[in-house]
Amino acid sequence: MIAPAVLGLPTWEDFKPFIVTGLALGGVYAMSGVGMVVLYRTTGVLNLAFGAVGAMGAFIAWEIINTTTLPNAVAYLACVAFAGAVTLLYGSVYGRGLAGRDPLTKAVATLGLALVLLGAMSWIWSDKARTLDLATTDSGFSVGDVLINWTQVIGLAFGVALTVTTVAFLRLTRTGTAMRALADDREIAATLGVPVRRVEAAAWLASGMVSGAAGLLLANLVGLDAATLTFLVISSLAAGLIARLHSIVATLAAGIAVGLVNALVTPIASISQYRDMTPFVMATLALMWVSRNDLRVTGVR
Amino acid sequence: MRMKARFAVGGTAALLSVSLAACGSGGTTTNGNDDNNSSAAAATTAAVASSASAAASKCGLGNGQKATGAPIPIGAIVTKQPGTDFTDITNGAKAYFACVNANGGIGGRPVGYDVETEQTDPAQVASLAHKLIESDKVVAMVGNISLIECSVNHQYYETKGFNVVGAGIAPECYGTPNIAAINMGARYSSDGAAQALVRKGAKKLAIVVSNVPGVDYVTQGVQLVGKSLGVPVRVIKENVPIQDANSVAIKAVQAAGGDGGVVLNFTPPEALKILQAAQRQGLQGRARWGCSTPCNTDFLAQALGSTWDGKLFVNAEARLADADGPDMALYRSVMSQYGKDVPVGSFSQFGFLQARIATQALMSVKGAITPTSANAAIEAVKDFKSDMLCKAWYFGKAPLHVPNNVDLTVTPKGGKMAQDEDCFPIADAEPGIAKVRSIERQSAAG
Repeated sequence: MIAPAVLGLPTWEDFKPFIVTGLALGGVYAMSGVGMVVLYRTTGVLNLAFGAVGAMGAFIAWEIINTTTLPNAVAYLACVAFAGAVTLLYGSVYGRGLAGRDPLTKAVATLGLALVLLGAMSWIWSDKARTLDLATTDSGFSVGDVLINWTQVIGLAFGVALTVTTVAFLRLTRTGTAMRALADDREIAATLGVPVRRVEAAAWLASGMVSGAAGLLLANLVGLDAATLTFLVISSLAAGLIARLHSIVATLAAGIAVGLVNALVTPIASISQYRDMTPFVMATLALMWVSRNDLRVTGVR
Repeated sequence: MRMKARFAVGGTAALLSVSLAACGSGGTTTNGNDDNNSSAAAATTAAVASSASAAASKCGLGNGQKATGAPIPIGAIVTKQPGTDFTDITNGAKAYFACVNANGGIGGRPVGYDVETEQTDPAQVASLAHKLIESDKVVAMVGNISLIECSVNHQYYETKGFNVVGAGIAPECYGTPNIAAINMGARYSSDGAAQALVRKGAKKLAIVVSNVPGVDYVTQGVQLVGKSLGVPVRVIKENVPIQDANSVAIKAVQAAGGDGGVVLNFTPPEALKILQAAQRQGLQGRARWGCSTPCNTDFLAQALGSTWDGKLFVNAEARLADADGPDMALYRSVMSQYGKDVPVGSFSQFGFLQARIATQALMSVKGAITPTSANAAIEAVKDFKSDMLCKAWYFGKAPLHVPNNVDLTVTPKGGKMAQDEDCFPIADAEPGIAKVRSIERQSAAG
């Protein structure tokens, strides 16, 4: 057997720490992806402002922690509450007007919100170096030489927990059933008496709160930087696309896979600097594979 | 309340940023007729006079009399765009000029400092230089600091006979005859950080840089220095903004190896991401960590906390802002009087010093201050001693200028940067530095 080093590849020992960082990030990508997919299935809106909303929530948390004497828990709650409120407000104001538009128009409209929030963050907090501490980062455990902190564990656990909760919610509750009905056909659901506005508002609010929680975790795992957090939505979007913006469980798996592959490519010198393409490449390959099956079913060559 | 107020203005941020982009450039001008300046004049003069250490350093004539008459126009071009704002440098210069204007000006006349901001558009940068020199009739360019300005305008300055006292980023800021920078730029600063790590015992180096056009200019320097010191250097380019700092930190430590050192060349927010990621994974002790000069901010030291005290070695191109010395005392005094909103730190120090150099040069002009006489006076600057810098600054007639080529090392200590190593020369394994040292020797001999 040829040793990896002979091929210019890192050894297994080199790869090990990247599994931890990949799983942690993948968990948060999955969590964000699930939030986006639930909103998409309910409202038909692909929320490209997901990252920016979470980022601004994280900055607000930083501001509260660093300029007031309030407990940190208040700051974290403020982050989630802000993200939920902004997303709900956006959905309430523009949701109705966008309802009849095509998916591309809906997505681009949310890009407008992302740019407004990005500009506001640059204006208010400038580009100075900041850090958002979470108590869970200060402690952890070791697996061999690899140090794992509790925020990394929470990142993964949150992704899994949110997926399980969301699946259960959609299947077992009236609101969840209404959301699924909206996803299938908005007009028929409305005709059958589903309170469309209320159900959509619940989806906007829940998705926004998830973006706030993801923003908090990512601000700690990745860094408190407006542009970075805003555009991390791309990885989550890729996870959603791999799951065809439909399956919650597939989004979880895809999010973790994107994070893991992205991290595992890092120590491979020859391709490391191209690893930011990982989400796109994986999404493209997945969509090509799925389309191939579709084409085969319809007999198109 | 403070946060509420910020949100009040923050809501219009996007609109304003669009307006800024649509305007292309914003200009600000200061002159000697500012009431605030005149009211502060006596106070600053008194502050300067009362400080024994500041006795040898003053604003212009330092006579406490407000300058009058037609302003002497001086121009500057500075990058200001989302994510990159270098106006602390021109604001530092503006504060010193305001102090000069409140203390007799230059030959009794105030300085009119015309600062133009640019957004890394080459056409815009070129047109701003033409505007300042040909329309606004500035007599000198002082305080320029831009991502691209040296590359775009150096030939124009050569044609017009302007000798620019600036701060550099692009290679042309250090390799052309009509520009002399107060700092040494990313390449030589990274060299300095690498040298510091080798002195700390690093047997192998990894230089981690942002993957942007022109970054090879920076990494080549560290590779040359490493070669001269017998230390292998591995280059790691990372796309910015960094999305997975944990992986970058692990990769850098793996590349540096057991007895290695990691040199970072990033903006403070990006460097902070990597350093914090290293901290979270217990990697700060697994390598010697260094950083080029952008990391030299108390803001970063504060964000890092005490975990990095004495473990991160940052190259510094000027003395720390709380150091002793006549220029440092005057700098702090000027900032407290004329630059209250300007952060105290290396950027405003650079601006202050550039303005002081230009003022001293223009005060030496006999007769009318014209572009010709002003730029001849700037070219004649030599042996300009300041306690802010490790060695005397000069302009002179030369094919290239790197007058700041001796540096310090600082390290975080209790949430602030503190000096770790005193002045040391950047290695002359660098061809540019070797040429400059040769020119300096010839000049000293002549």
